Amino acid sequence: MATLTRQDLNFGQVVADILCEFLEVAIHLILYVREIYPSGIFQKRKKYNVPVQMSCHPDLNQYIQDTLHCVKPLIEKNEAEKVVVVIMDKEHHPVERFVFEISQPPLLSISSETLLSHVEQLLRAMILKISVCDAVLDNNPPGCTFTVLVHTREAATRNMEKVQVIKDFPWIVADEQEVHMEEAKLIPLKTMTSDILKMQLYVEERTQKT
Amino acid sequence: MDELYLDNIDEYVNDQNKIVTYKWLSLTLGVHVNTAKQMLYHYLQQKRNESSGTSLRATYLVSGKCVENGSTCHKVSVVREDKLETVKAKMDVTISVHVYSVQKAELKDSSPLYNTDYDAVKENLKNCNKYSAIRCAAAVPMSSAELQKAQEMALAPPAEREISKPGLNENTSATSKPSAKQPAGIMGMFASKNASKSQESSKEVKTEQKDDSSLVETSKSKTASKANPMSNFFGKSAPKKADEQQNKSIKEETDGSSTATATASMKQSQTSPKSETDIKEEQSKVSSAKSKDTRNKTKRAEVVDSDDEKMESQQKKRRRIKKPQPDSSDDEVVPDSPPVPNVHTPSPKKQVKREPVSHQEESSGVKRRKRRRVLKSNTFVDEDGSFVTEKGYVSESYSESEEEPEPNSQAKDTSSLKQSFGKKEAEKKEKSQKKTSTANKPTKQPSIMGFFQKK
Repeated sequence: MATLTRQDLNFGQVVADILCEFLEVAIHLILYVREIYPSGIFQKRKKYNVPVQMSCHPDLNQYIQDTLHCVKPLIEKNEAEKVVVVIMDKEHHPVERFVFEISQPPLLSISSETLLSHVEQLLRAMILKISVCDAVLDNNPPGCTFTVLVHTREAATRNMEKVQVIKDFPWIVADEQEVHMEEAKLIPLKTMTSDILKMQLYVEERTQKT
Repeated sequence: MDELYLDNIDEYVNDQNKIVTYKWLSLTLGVHVNTAKQMLYHYLQQKRNESSGTSLRATYLVSGKCVENGSTCHKVSVVREDKLETVKAKMDVTISVHVYSVQKAELKDSSPLYNTDYDAVKENLKNCNKYSAIRCAAAVPMSSAELQKAQEMALAPPAEREISKPGLNENTSATSKPSAKQPAGIMGMFASKNASKSQESSKEVKTEQKDDSSLVETSKSKTASKANPMSNFFGKSAPKKADEQQNKSIKEETDGSSTATATASMKQSQTSPKSETDIKEEQSKVSSAKSKDTRNKTKRAEVVDSDDEKMESQQKKRRRIKKPQPDSSDDEVVPDSPPVPNVHTPSPKKQVKREPVSHQEESSGVKRRKRRRVLKSNTFVDEDGSFVTEKGYVSESYSESEEEPEPNSQAKDTSSLKQSFGKKEAEKKEKSQKKTSTANKPTKQPSIMGFFQKK
């Protein structure tokens, strides 16, 4: 298998594709497990050879896809540090934050033939961990909503504000109250390390949720 | 048994927040599955007695005989603890109950259970039945020559069956082998159910033994029913299982499948990813076909109803439809043809209609207006992008002489909602015995009697 290095644009796109696909599945799964939306809108689909729950609602799906579509260029250039799925209660105070910390090793190369199946295995484990996360988390109050935040470097933020990647889907600087959570408990869920990608998933949870 | 295993399980469940299934445990610790089941049971008992086990949840595998829709079936289910008693009560005879998994999380669906076993089994693919309780001496891996032969055979027959059974070709062609390897000692019905089920379960490479959702199960049972002469069995059990939302049903006893699937999975490992997607496609096709069918029916009913209002007086006049009957008064003898999918744009229809009309006009000099009921079947793509076939009766009026009503009727036809009645059917029209010649009556709407006609 040819060795691709980071300089190849193809490689960056490959990693970004893999990661965005995973994030889409992960977001749907988080919505299902944390009961943000009623379970009736979810349907079993297959990813990484295991069943996962994905939503059927077109608007929701479109929203998530558009979100990740905008995040993808940041990941390609390795500018995205964290992708955070914030769950907020009715007053828009965050109660839970699922943080995906992403880093890509600087001198990456795809040289192993089993790399992709290895990555698939790791992602499968991440999915499994999300499925059982309700064991370590308290229940959320009813009526929660969610949003997606991306932590990037300053220059990238300015770019995103200037250039609308998708029409009518602007990104704005997040409010302070969405970013920071008082009395946060940190619960690590899973870490994965592979040749192309390093990802950590942890949950910041507010101690008092109701 | 030394007590170390209890600490092991404790570590897995509490510290690592894992789901510990008996199969995973047996492969991890290298013990027989029955031992693993007992280990889980003891662990559960111990923790519950200590009253620190309140955060522990368990799922159980229940198998037994029950009567559904009049037929006895052997049902195997994975159930959550809170549903255990209800499921046991529903069964006439409970044959076995054992702990399936222990975990801290309350599982909302069964996908994590499959996920847990996936990697463990994948690593041990060649000997994943090493610790299994079910043995079959005839279940040995095929030699490479046999493997090749089987693959060649698998390629040939599906080409014929592809049209009628998409996605099932590999299932059916390989059915004979695994069915021969079914372990003895399971009742015959169950064995033949195993034949088709093991196909589908073996397709899932890593010996998936669970159907996670009732939807998947329903579709699988439907696909199985096509392949399996025991179709009644499935057809009846499927709707019942759809009712039990929380019930995660297993198609085949987990232990039983491992023997057959280990060998089957080896030879089918190549085809399994494809067939797995086939199954999923089949599932989505079936489920969408199901939903489409119901939609079809409602649409047709609506169509017919609205038409009824318009054409009440004329309904009584035409009762019988489409028996192939040569009509002496007509020039053309129109046989009853099976519904032909039509192209459904209005303009070609108009043109086509005009041709036979004009032809008839030329051929017979008699000025007569006839109305016919024609069964039209139209296949079109609706807004969801799915193919919908609608059959409806159109009573078409054609006149040898007058053109004027034609544009009227055609306009009305094209304006009717979702009715693309093919005018090219004109030459295939039937005469109904009670046809009436009504002059200058605009259009033809299908009546509800069409619904009862022989197609």
